[in-house]
Amino acid sequence: MSDLNTAMAAKYRANFLKEVEAVVEEGETVKMCMQCGVCAGSCPLGKHWAHPPQEIFMMIRAGKRDEVLKSDSMWMCTSCYNCIVRCPRGVQITHVMHGLAYYAKRLGVVPEGQPTQQVSQLFWDNLMKGGRVNELKLGLSIYFKDGFGDGIKNAMANQKLGMNMMKAGRMSPMEFLSGHTIKDNAGFQKIIKKAQEIEDAKFDGAAK
Amino acid sequence: MTEVVATNQTILVVGGGISGMTAALEAAETGKQVVLVEKRPFVGGRVTQLYKYFPKLCFPTCGLEINQRRAKMNPNLTILTMAEVTNLEGEAGNYTATVKISPRYVNENCTGCGDCEKAVEAEFDNEFNYGLAGLSKRKGAYLPHKMAHPMRYVIDPAIIGTADADKAKEACKVGAVDLDMQEEEIKFNAGAVIWATGWQPYDANKIQPYGYDRFANVITNVEFERMADPQGPTAGKIVRPSDGKEAKNVAFIQCAGSRDQNHLLHCSRICCMATLKQTHFVQEAYGDEGKSTIYYIDIRAIDRFEEFYMKVKENPNVTFTKSKVASIVENRENQSPILHGVDTEGYNRYANEHDLVVLAVGMEPSVDKGSFPVDIVVNEEGFIEPAPENGGVFAAGCSSDALDVNRAAQQATGAALRAVQVVNRVAGMEG
Amino acid sequence: MAEEKKFVGFICTGCGIGERLDAGQLETTAKRDGKMQDVKQHEMLCNAEGVKMIQDEIGGGATHIMIAACSRRAKVEAFNFTEVAMTRANLREGVIWVRPDTDENRETTQEMADDYIRMACAEARFMTKPTPSGEQELNKHILVVGGGVTGMTAALEASAAGYPVTIVEKSGALGGNAANWYKSIPSRAPYAEPQDTGIEGMIELVNNNDRITVHLNSTLASTDGAPGRFKATIAEESGATTEAEFGAIVQATGYKPYDPSELTQYHYKDSPDVVTNWEFEALAKAGGPIKRPSDGKEVKAVAFVQNVGQTSKDSGKLPYHSGAGDLIAIKQAMYCKALNGADCDATILFNNLRTPGAAGEDFYRSAQEKMITFSKGDVSEVVPGGELEVKFKDLILNEDTAMKADLVVLDVGMMPNSGPDPYAQLAFEEAEEGSEEKETLRQALEVAPPSILNLKYRQGTDLPHLRHGFNDSHFICFPYETRRTGIYAAGPVRRPMDMRQAQDDAAGAAMKAIQAAENAGKGMAAHPRAGDLSYPSFRKEGCTQCKRCTVECPFGAINEDEQGYPVYNEARCRRCGTCMGACPVRVISFENYSIDTVGQQLKNVDMPDEFSEKPRILVLACENDAYPALDQAGMSGIEINPWARVIPVRCLGSVSLSWITDSLNSGYDGIVLMGCQKGDDYQCHFVRGSAMAHERMSKVGDTLQSLNLEPERVEVYEVAITDVERAPKLINDMAETVEKIGMSPFKF
Repeated sequence: MSDLNTAMAAKYRANFLKEVEAVVEEGETVKMCMQCGVCAGSCPLGKHWAHPPQEIFMMIRAGKRDEVLKSDSMWMCTSCYNCIVRCPRGVQITHVMHGLAYYAKRLGVVPEGQPTQQVSQLFWDNLMKGGRVNELKLGLSIYFKDGFGDGIKNAMANQKLGMNMMKAGRMSPMEFLSGHTIKDNAGFQKIIKKAQEIEDAKFDGAAK
Repeated sequence: MTEVVATNQTILVVGGGISGMTAALEAAETGKQVVLVEKRPFVGGRVTQLYKYFPKLCFPTCGLEINQRRAKMNPNLTILTMAEVTNLEGEAGNYTATVKISPRYVNENCTGCGDCEKAVEAEFDNEFNYGLAGLSKRKGAYLPHKMAHPMRYVIDPAIIGTADADKAKEACKVGAVDLDMQEEEIKFNAGAVIWATGWQPYDANKIQPYGYDRFANVITNVEFERMADPQGPTAGKIVRPSDGKEAKNVAFIQCAGSRDQNHLLHCSRICCMATLKQTHFVQEAYGDEGKSTIYYIDIRAIDRFEEFYMKVKENPNVTFTKSKVASIVENRENQSPILHGVDTEGYNRYANEHDLVVLAVGMEPSVDKGSFPVDIVVNEEGFIEPAPENGGVFAAGCSSDALDVNRAAQQATGAALRAVQVVNRVAGMEG
Repeated sequence: MAEEKKFVGFICTGCGIGERLDAGQLETTAKRDGKMQDVKQHEMLCNAEGVKMIQDEIGGGATHIMIAACSRRAKVEAFNFTEVAMTRANLREGVIWVRPDTDENRETTQEMADDYIRMACAEARFMTKPTPSGEQELNKHILVVGGGVTGMTAALEASAAGYPVTIVEKSGALGGNAANWYKSIPSRAPYAEPQDTGIEGMIELVNNNDRITVHLNSTLASTDGAPGRFKATIAEESGATTEAEFGAIVQATGYKPYDPSELTQYHYKDSPDVVTNWEFEALAKAGGPIKRPSDGKEVKAVAFVQNVGQTSKDSGKLPYHSGAGDLIAIKQAMYCKALNGADCDATILFNNLRTPGAAGEDFYRSAQEKMITFSKGDVSEVVPGGELEVKFKDLILNEDTAMKADLVVLDVGMMPNSGPDPYAQLAFEEAEEGSEEKETLRQALEVAPPSILNLKYRQGTDLPHLRHGFNDSHFICFPYETRRTGIYAAGPVRRPMDMRQAQDDAAGAAMKAIQAAENAGKGMAAHPRAGDLSYPSFRKEGCTQCKRCTVECPFGAINEDEQGYPVYNEARCRRCGTCMGACPVRVISFENYSIDTVGQQLKNVDMPDEFSEKPRILVLACENDAYPALDQAGMSGIEINPWARVIPVRCLGSVSLSWITDSLNSGYDGIVLMGCQKGDDYQCHFVRGSAMAHERMSKVGDTLQSLNLEPERVEVYEVAITDVERAPKLINDMAETVEKIGMSPFKF
């Protein structure tokens, strides 16, 4: 267990719902769930969820902290917002799912090799380099995330898409070499650093 | 010109459904002068469109007959139909009501013989059957239903000025058809007002994923009630509107518009019991071949009705699934609705095909605070609160909350007493 | 000097009657056979001119009028002549609309119409205009039994309408159960927080109200009389008694909580920290944070176990639900948050959460906002100990699990505080000495509660029970109906309910009580024949003191004097005529409804001989359901066999066996009786009328046998008002039966 995870678990003892309410984005809406399941039913990726949203909410109430945070269910959310639109009780399901994923990541309990999490990390790292996304490198890094052999296969499979993007000017092969950054990358890095500090402080505070 | 004799000891009852009738009759049978104003051409309200009542599975027309006989016999009660209160001025003990009466084009000479109906040709969708109107037509001269009170025909304004209207007039041997009848506005006094404008079924079109507007075999609970009625549009047969085939596998979707901040915030109370009752219709029609599936969040049978719920639960042909159905798609080959969702008891994802879907739509209060003639206190859901600020206006029945018939009659009887208190005070001051 | 009678008939020729029937012939029949002194025809009797014609005749001395026109259910307002005795012959819905308009049917249709004229004339000749008996008294004083929320509300509401009220309360204080509560479920928007019960304010209002008298520590030693003249003896614990008279009574005796001791899985008896929801109120009301009964520790986790001992068919449990239990749990969970801090965990373990309506759902949401936890779960056991363990199946997560709690609150239901069921007493009295049945009934009576009203009624001391001890009699359309006229149940003794509903209910019951008192003062019947001035009387010299009428009256209206003669209490009577149907010696009658008014109708039907191929079928139809169904059949153009002669009756329970034997003796070929559904879900507005009729008619077989007639000549059916097609079919079926088995040989 990471220090933060230990600290948070200790602080909220048996009450995971309170923990979620305190630290997870829109977590305070979880308590309004009445187990109708319309979220699970309206989710276009529903069948890929080991625990659909309403079940996660019940697990939160039941104090199944580890099971929830180590689940890969909330990583299945693609932000289509169908669930939020349909929820009769205004539970901000999409946000809560991302909030839980982020919290799990923060606590260091995400299952090993969870692909959505990996892609998110690659996206983030790519973005952070120059303040903008380098599509070519992002694409390649995703293709090659599971090793060289898979990377070649993935790249070949998506060759046409890549060519079309280049033709349309949406991606340049030159980006592979250097890639341009935003004008004031240094300033951007400062902003991010500050944001990171604020966020870290929030968790430090929450853990106390 | 319609004449109403009324004083500030008169009780005005707005709405002639079960609640308004109950309040009006209880007051009139206590010796009070009562004027009842009803928007439709007949009294009885929505219960006239129900086939059976829960939990006794008895017929609403049975109680209606008693209430109508009470109304016919009681000299203290004046009923104005096709009438609406457009304004109310004053205060408790001294109101002046303005009532607009729409032309019926048939006067009190009407004997209910039906000659006009036989003579006219134009046909209209029969609104008595809600959205199943298309399955059954009524003439341009019509009696809304066989037990309608007053037993007096109505001529549809749409045929006024056409040859059909003249045919109706010619056919009437008793001079009851009056094509020159005009809208009237009358004013009269009242000491207290009982507001009993009831409810309307929630508009199912607003629940877009259920496809009520797109799929023939998705209907509402009030429509299903008409369907089960032998006097209704399918002569009591439980069939699919798309092809008229037997509907043996019926889905009931609870909270269709209720308990939902996107629709009606409140629980409509009656829909669970109504559905439990309607499973009986399926069973009666098809025996063990008739299957019902109820998709619900909580079954709210409540107090003594729980016995009825227990009975239905024992029926192997009725399945309960805890789930708010997410969406309905249509099987293009047979027009059967396929329901998608998740059974939340243990997480089971389903895609269930049914012959027919019944949406248990909720009760939307027919109270519009914006256009209400006097200041009243209305809650977030649109029901009138029992507030002293309402003065001499008392809500009865579903103007006050989503209520079943028993509770509506109970509540309306209490409302009658509150009105009686006001007019008795007036009488005391004057006498 | 007896008032001179003048009989005038009126025949309407409108609505096709004139075209389809020979009105001249009808007029002749009315005069010659019907003995009308004068008969008038009018082409539209119900219009202003026609009505004036009738009024002129009444002005000219007509005392009995016969109107031959449409159904008695049509044009009621136009033909409303309360100053005379009136009968109606149904020539429209009952004749021309149910017969095909063809030449070959003309003769039988005319015969049908002629018969209906003869029948209506005969009925008119044998009836008198009902007038009040003189028994009636106006007494505006309302007696309220029970001084809880419902009783106090009923008293305050009735007094606000100007009526004096006396409250009789068994305990030493007003307030009832709710006086022990910390707070109540909210009764006004936004329905978010528990609110003060307001009991103290209410008690003050009652005590300061000049129109309200309160008797504490008091019960009813006896209640006698009838609406308008109830005589009550109020007995104080001290022994003092007060006699007082009342116009009507509201019984608001409330409820008692269900005792969960026998449900051992909850260990209610073993652990002081397992309490009922009603007991929990006291813990909250004690002030400050809620403490555990066992050790006084402030509670930090409370589990609410819902639906304990309710909605179950198991013996010892309640087959219904208290209705308010989930709202109460929410309210009490809110106490935990408010008194013990937001950190106090409150978990509600429910199956179906019953928070109906706008107020209910608002309160539920408010509880969720307050972080009260709701779990759909089936509790299997509460394990007592320093920390209690609640074992349950989580129905959403589909697993057996458990939670810890400092305190467990059981949601137990409400049981009505009704008196003993009078019909259990009567059944015991009538059971055979030494029989097993008698022993079972005796045991049931031993555990029955003490009487509340101590009614001096032939049929027992208290309000009859409908189901599970609740005291109403029609729980859909007419919620206040009971089987004892002028005595209305209100609050949880009528149906399980919360305080807000009980207050609404009290207002309604007060309304009914006021109405009963007012109408008793005018000699008018109570619901469903509201306004009826007729009442039953009997010919003493013919009475055999058989007591059938006093036993069978569904409303317990009839007492017996020392010699066993019936004593009618007009104001208690609902005018159904069940007594008349019960009387084997035909001595009971109403002024406008009697053995003769019906008996003479069936005798005055023209009876063609055995070889005429014209059978006669008598149909006795309940006027509220079967008769309207037949009217609607007419409106729908459904044919009814021309041999049928239909007579509406107030209730099938009023049908005298003598009408059946007379009919069979005078040559009727078939008899069809149509009443309402009987049994548990009875639809009979007079509760037992239809059931009594079915029972009595089961004995008709003997009569048929003695006459050597086929049993299928008499049929009794349950017919609903919606049986628009079935009702005519039942008649037509009888015609077919007669065709098969042949005509009756008893034609004279």
